[in-house]
Amino acid sequence: MTQIALSNLGKKFGSFTALAQMNLTIGDGEFVALLGPSGCGKSTTMNMIAGMVDPTEGDIRFDDRSILDVPMSRRGVGFVFQNYAIFTHMSVRENLAYGLRAQGVSASERNRRVNAMADLLQLTPMLDRRAAGLSVNILQRLAIGRSAVVEPAIFLLDEPLSNVDAAFRSVMRSELKALQRQFSQTLVYVTHDQLEAMTMADRIAVMDHGKLLQVGTPLEIYNNPQDVFVARFIGSPGMNILEGTIASSDEGKLVDLASAGRSAPLALSDRAASQGLPEKVLFGFRPEQVNPDPNGTMALPVNFVERIGARTILHLGGDGLEAKAVLDNQIAMPSIGDILRFSIDPKMVRLFDPVSGIAIGGDI
Amino acid sequence: MNGVSVKEADIAVLPQDNAGSEEKRLGFWLTLPAQCLVLFIAVFPILMQLYISMTDWSPLDGIPWYRAYELWIGFINYTDLASDSRFWAAMWRTFLVMIVCVPIQFLLGLGLAVLFVDEFPGKRWFYSTLLIPMMVVPAVAGYMFFLLFQSGGPVNDLLSLFSASPVKIAWLSDPSLALVAVMAADIWQWTPLMFLILLAGMISVPQDQQMAAVLLGASWGRRFFTIVLPRMKTIIIIALAIRTIEIFKIFDTLYIMTGGGPGVATETISVYIYKVTQQDLIWGYVAAIALAILIVLSVISAIAISRMSKGANAR
Repeated sequence: MTQIALSNLGKKFGSFTALAQMNLTIGDGEFVALLGPSGCGKSTTMNMIAGMVDPTEGDIRFDDRSILDVPMSRRGVGFVFQNYAIFTHMSVRENLAYGLRAQGVSASERNRRVNAMADLLQLTPMLDRRAAGLSVNILQRLAIGRSAVVEPAIFLLDEPLSNVDAAFRSVMRSELKALQRQFSQTLVYVTHDQLEAMTMADRIAVMDHGKLLQVGTPLEIYNNPQDVFVARFIGSPGMNILEGTIASSDEGKLVDLASAGRSAPLALSDRAASQGLPEKVLFGFRPEQVNPDPNGTMALPVNFVERIGARTILHLGGDGLEAKAVLDNQIAMPSIGDILRFSIDPKMVRLFDPVSGIAIGGDI
Repeated sequence: MNGVSVKEADIAVLPQDNAGSEEKRLGFWLTLPAQCLVLFIAVFPILMQLYISMTDWSPLDGIPWYRAYELWIGFINYTDLASDSRFWAAMWRTFLVMIVCVPIQFLLGLGLAVLFVDEFPGKRWFYSTLLIPMMVVPAVAGYMFFLLFQSGGPVNDLLSLFSASPVKIAWLSDPSLALVAVMAADIWQWTPLMFLILLAGMISVPQDQQMAAVLLGASWGRRFFTIVLPRMKTIIIIALAIRTIEIFKIFDTLYIMTGGGPGVATETISVYIYKVTQQDLIWGYVAAIALAILIVLSVISAIAISRMSKGANAR
């Protein structure tokens, strides 16, 4: 029930910059995922919000009040550690009651809240068991319950699903989302798994090398990446990026992709048109948008065929142009060495500046 | 290693009923000679002691130890021991040193560990300095404290600063104070070891659990008493057991400071044994005393070990 505002937040460890110029406002009750590869600064950001690490620049505000001088025990932040940090020398009940005890809640109230939380998370049968021998799945729920029981205004989760098995992960994804709705807390979720971010978050903040690259809803991030890194990082496989040059034709501007052929005439947005196009561009399209078409204007040889069940991933490439295509199994599949001729819907093409890596014209 | 040999190795490791027990049996026979040797080394001195303790043997009797049966007296050494007031007084003194020194060393060591678990400027320097007493040869430490506690020594000079008239306490020749001086020396010398062990234990308490406690609103004290101390339980038991057993053996420092005196005022169990061995030369009796102490120390170790395994199960 608190808004978090990060302004110009930065952290340096000696000469190494872990985070720079982070500006992000996380709304009251919002579920925001910090997504990025290892070492992108997402955990550092999280630890600074919790108070475990002090920023070297910028400010963190909860509801317009700077909390930099508030010690971490009084920030009212619930934190779920990657390895859960369960107090294994205590029982499940003692773990759940720990925060309430520390805050001096009366015994009867404490019992009521611990029992309610245990009920909610289906921990009741093991309340009096020692936490040491419990399975990872239970430890995970216990970790969430232990933080949630003190009703923190802000919930921070540091890769909470990276240690659980794949089947349980998908259960937990929906469960976490349901829990967050129930508690209606502001929730920041650190992950390197885009599937978790895409399925749970209201908004995703994509980070790389200590920089915040794009913030948006999962669909915005997927459909309109503002940056080549985001384009490649989001999606599985990520967006294809080919180098090309702008050429003109009777029907309008198009992109010449050398040996891969030419794109269909571009459907430029007004903004892109008014901005003008650089001579060289990065031509981006999602592998799912590859449309096999005997009359297609583009063609690439098939290097490798990867069957993953319902769909098949084709690895295309030659002459420094690498791309992937995701096709339904219904169509006749080319084999290795064949030339795949295809077309891309002009509306689905994204152009990026080859120097800055930034999307041209925003929404096309 | 190629694929085939990996497979073979896997099969050998598989717990197949027959092969497994056969392998165990082979292992048993192969290690038997070494096991016997180890057992012999461990058990022989104890058995020899037990044997001698049943006799009135002394090296002056002119017969080798294995013929001590000629002087067989049965349990008389043990019944003597039970009524030996000097032995019980020495036991009590040893116990007194233990219940004073071990808790003080523990609390000082724990306090220092709390200070040193966090970074502060000059930490390395302080750290090395603190460990010096532990490295001093006990005999040298005894001599140092012998000098410190002279009636014209630095301890009295220091006390004189806080009182109107010059302090002239005869620490080492006053029967009621000599033991205090001995305890001071032991605390000085062995607190660093306690500190070192406890610091190692404290550092190994998982940081994230401590962070989790703080994030849940725990104060420093709550975190310390509910997370740090319980997680150090095993190492605390080890530290206490080591010091308790060591104090039973307190000898060199003490012998140089007081020689067990004045009179028998600082005669601990080791000093008493030494005197009986070297001055009275009644070795049969010494063997009986030594066995009695061995039993006491075994009980202490057994308690420590059982507490430790309980602690380990809780994890």
